[in-house]
Amino acid sequence: MGLLSILRKLKSAPDQEVRILLLGLDNAGKTTLLKQLASEDISHITPTQGFNIKSVQSQGFKLNVWDIGGQRKIRPYWRNYFENTDVLIYVIDSADRKRFEETGQELAELLDEEKLSGVTVLILLTSKNLLTLPLLRRLLRGLNLHTIRDRIWQIQSCSALTGEGVQDGMNWVCKNVNAKKK
Amino acid sequence: MFVQVCLYFYCKCLWRCLKFVVRKLTGRCELQRICYNIKPGASRTMKIETSLRGSKNKLLQTSVSVHPDAIEKTIDDIMELKKINPDINPQLGVSLQACLLQIVGYRNLVAEVEKLRREPYDSENPQHEEMLLKLWKCLKPDCPLEARISKQWCEIGFQGDDPKTDFRGMGLLGLYNLLYFAERDAAVAQQVLSDSLQPKYSYSFAIVGINITDLAYNLLVSGALKTHFYNVAPEAPTLSHFQQTFCYLMHEFHKFWIEEDPLDIMEFNRVREKFHKRILKQLQNPDMALCPHFAASESLINM
Repeated sequence: MGLLSILRKLKSAPDQEVRILLLGLDNAGKTTLLKQLASEDISHITPTQGFNIKSVQSQGFKLNVWDIGGQRKIRPYWRNYFENTDVLIYVIDSADRKRFEETGQELAELLDEEKLSGVTVLILLTSKNLLTLPLLRRLLRGLNLHTIRDRIWQIQSCSALTGEGVQDGMNWVCKNVNAKKK
Repeated sequence: MFVQVCLYFYCKCLWRCLKFVVRKLTGRCELQRICYNIKPGASRTMKIETSLRGSKNKLLQTSVSVHPDAIEKTIDDIMELKKINPDINPQLGVSLQACLLQIVGYRNLVAEVEKLRREPYDSENPQHEEMLLKLWKCLKPDCPLEARISKQWCEIGFQGDDPKTDFRGMGLLGLYNLLYFAERDAAVAQQVLSDSLQPKYSYSFAIVGINITDLAYNLLVSGALKTHFYNVAPEAPTLSHFQQTFCYLMHEFHKFWIEEDPLDIMEFNRVREKFHKRILKQLQNPDMALCPHFAASESLINM
């Protein structure tokens, strides 16, 4: 880091707040991702009843990340958290092939929500190892993503255990929030 | 900072001098004074533990981590080191041994619990599967499970049609605890389960059980449960002591949840945090014991 960038940092205005919503089916890896963002230990995770929230500083932003439980019983409560959301991160466990249709349906419903219209979407595909491109393409065909036209969106593959790819995803989020908020 | 360091060393030296003077005056060492002046239980064992850990003698320092089988020998060594005649002070050896068994036992319990937590639930392992099916039988004795993969699991509060992904970071420990609760304290467990299904207080029984396992695990690892175990376990605390504590916490949490009258399940983490703080505060009282009703009669200390 050069002297100039340090000075610029000191000068910069107080952090802009960004509200990020983490959604996805149960066991997709939302809480793990949240803990990774906050650089916390990920070995003691339990299924989320209700929600977790953490604030993370990143690239001049204060990211308020809301992680809402993905259990079927809790999904009706998702809509209570839509208001003022800047970015939606939708987490999909790529090993959970059996529920691919279910997760695609939930995602489609979210994209149809009026309160989330125009909200930037990052789709995170978690897996043990980073996915290869052909596999990624095959998975995506099932999600009907080509129909999304009214918003900025992106897909990112990441490893839930090592956190590889998570930072790339967050960089993308920050870049696009920046473009939008200016 | 510098002043603090000076103060710390000053206190330490002063404390040693004071101990020396008292020892000369009363003719008793610190361990003896603790055993004679403080009643058995958490207050005594914790004082003994602090004294041993803080000692500058290697034998005393390492005595808190010896193998359980070597405790008798260690006690003899300590008596010899402190020049205490076991024939004149027979009670001291017994008291010290009880304390040391508790201290060493707690350490081993932490290791045992950690090992269970680290072992992930494996649906290929017939033993794990058997326990899971037993859990169903204990909680729903009148209603057979139709298939291993079934929506029915949601009825006892798992998230989906296969519970295997719900144990996560708590591994087998979550299953052990839930099964112990359902088996040993069946009436209460079934009552709690049926209450948890009521729309007004609705929560997912099994998932909350795994969350409360996390709470119990944190209390254990942080050392907060020492108060409880040193009060209820006459010798080394065992896994079943831990599981009884879990039963107690489940039952207490359930009552607390109803008292708090939450709007919906989204308040779970707030209520859990409040409950955690309350238990921590209770455990600061050295006479505290978290006994479930079914264990209260058998866990009184008699030394």
